[in-house]
Amino acid sequence: MSIAAVKPDQGTRVLSYAGALLETMDAALADHANTFIMGQGVDDFKGIFGSTTGLAEKYGAARVFDVPLMEEGMTGVAIGASLVGDYPITTHIRADFSFLAMNQIINLAAKYRYMFGGLMRCPMLIRIVVGRSWGQGAQHSQSPQSTFAHYPGLTVVMPSSSQAILDMYPAIINRHPGPVISIEHRLLYNLDFTVSPSEHRVPLTSYVARKGSDVTVVATSVMVLEALRAAQYVEDKAGISAEIIDLNSISHPDWDLVAASVRKTGRLVVADTSWLEYGVAAEVCRQLVMRDPGLLRQPPTMLGMAPAPCPTAKSLEDIYYPSQHETVDAILVQVRGDNHGIALPVERSMTEGYKRFRGPF
Amino acid sequence: MKDEAIYRRLFRTALLIRLVEERIIELYPSDKIQSPVHLSIGQEAVAVGVCDGLKPDDLVFATYRSHGFYIAKGGSLDAMFAELYGRKGGVSGGKAGSMHLAAPEVGLMGSSAVVASTIPHAVGAALSFKRRGLSQIAVAVFGDGATEEGVYHESLNFAALMKVPVLFLCEDNGLAVHSHRPVRQSYRLAEHAASFGIASRRLEEGWDMLAIRQATLEAAAKVRAGEPFVLEIVTSRYKEHVGVGEDFHFNYRTSDGVDAWKRRDPLIVDQKLVATLRPDIEREIEAAVAFAEASPAPGRDELLADVI
Repeated sequence: MSIAAVKPDQGTRVLSYAGALLETMDAALADHANTFIMGQGVDDFKGIFGSTTGLAEKYGAARVFDVPLMEEGMTGVAIGASLVGDYPITTHIRADFSFLAMNQIINLAAKYRYMFGGLMRCPMLIRIVVGRSWGQGAQHSQSPQSTFAHYPGLTVVMPSSSQAILDMYPAIINRHPGPVISIEHRLLYNLDFTVSPSEHRVPLTSYVARKGSDVTVVATSVMVLEALRAAQYVEDKAGISAEIIDLNSISHPDWDLVAASVRKTGRLVVADTSWLEYGVAAEVCRQLVMRDPGLLRQPPTMLGMAPAPCPTAKSLEDIYYPSQHETVDAILVQVRGDNHGIALPVERSMTEGYKRFRGPF
Repeated sequence: MKDEAIYRRLFRTALLIRLVEERIIELYPSDKIQSPVHLSIGQEAVAVGVCDGLKPDDLVFATYRSHGFYIAKGGSLDAMFAELYGRKGGVSGGKAGSMHLAAPEVGLMGSSAVVASTIPHAVGAALSFKRRGLSQIAVAVFGDGATEEGVYHESLNFAALMKVPVLFLCEDNGLAVHSHRPVRQSYRLAEHAASFGIASRRLEEGWDMLAIRQATLEAAAKVRAGEPFVLEIVTSRYKEHVGVGEDFHFNYRTSDGVDAWKRRDPLIVDQKLVATLRPDIEREIEAAVAFAEASPAPGRDELLADVI
């Protein structure tokens, strides 16, 4: 499914990421009587950045409710409710806060089906939001996809668009047999996307977000958008055709899809929202090398956060994350070499770009 | 039903638990049970009295020391021994072992080896019962050490705010592995519970199955009416924290407290009733051991089943 290929004349509409979240939360409550949403502030005037606004009024306080500051307790409550047939949706307005629930997520939820030989199941959706920009700093900015995906028993997705939410969440809520962690990105919340009631749903695994032939870019979350922007730039400026794969599911990617693309292009850029060490970038390389160590014609390029906690100062934050400048450069270096001689975009701060950027993709 | 008949029913289940664990002690040197075992010998009366005071569809969320609760709630003995043996016929096909016994068909909703971790599960199940208008209650079983964990505090607070039908059942054996209460707790459990507006009761006579049953009936009635309740039952762990031996020779505790407890332990005092019930129970246990021995070991087909 190609998001970029959606045509605006096929029953499409423009919907923000937050709007897509709100629609899927609303539909989950309407369609499934056993579903409830709890989290700090889910019923307040901000409604988790607009993704739960008005739902407490519509469905009542027994279905959508605020909780004390109790990340571990809340997750344990969700497991208990799930074990008796409810479908809980929990929220953490920063992914960093979910670390307080690690015991319940890793020691309990991830284990319950296997550890009891299939006697127990605790399907639930844990929504966590990655922060970035405006001085989020060290504890409001972490992106723990590889941490969670390391543990068997967890399903970890990173929707990169409104379409991904509209397609995946209904397939997860009350349908997926186990606990799912969806890592949403704060930068995406206010972006508008073109969405379509397509027959070709974004699957609960990887998909090609843009077809290309010269280089493969495997990206996650907001870096999928960065990669799509960069791909357009290099096509316009240098006639380079970049294939973008949205890894989308971090726990259950389609590695055959990734390997087939790299077999075709021989060149690889990985653009992830977290650190490279022991992360998605490392796993992509492991999967490719284990299949065929000769797939790559040259060493790949890896984009991720600098190997330090996130700094607050804007001057440091701008060089902490890979910029559009660097994403474009990575693609050009892969295809044309270090001395590609093609002018890079002037934009260095991605978040400035996002203030201007209104899509749609 | 007369107290005498109830007593005999409770006594039989308690004796079953004790003889099962004594059989585990006999079997353990053979290495047929390759799983850490946390024996409840000395604590059987709690499991038996509590489970008898509940309704069959009330749910219990338990700990790694749950042979007693598994049996008292009505779990299959064959499936338990096969589970301890790591066999396919085990309750969880050999993937759970002693520390993760479960029997959801009779309301034992899983046992966790991480202290305090199932306490919020009971709260969550109770929340669900309340929202659906059911009359079931959920019981969180934990030791006194678990009350030191943050999630215990979180669970009480949330249960009190939401007024969910959950019974917090503390088995107070005074020990967290080898650590005594004075180095662990600066609070009194009842006062802590009261600060959330949660009523509590401490029962010192943890050997008295009828008293525990009665206390549970009374507590469960309050819980069923929509008020969480903390029931603390003093008990005594005769054996080492984990394993099948005794641990007095390590000198972190003396045998005095346990000896005093044993003088009141009905399973020791009432040898006449033990002699009457024992042959039938032993046959039951031997049948379960034979079932486990005959059950095949799980293989590669099971290794990656039920992960997601």
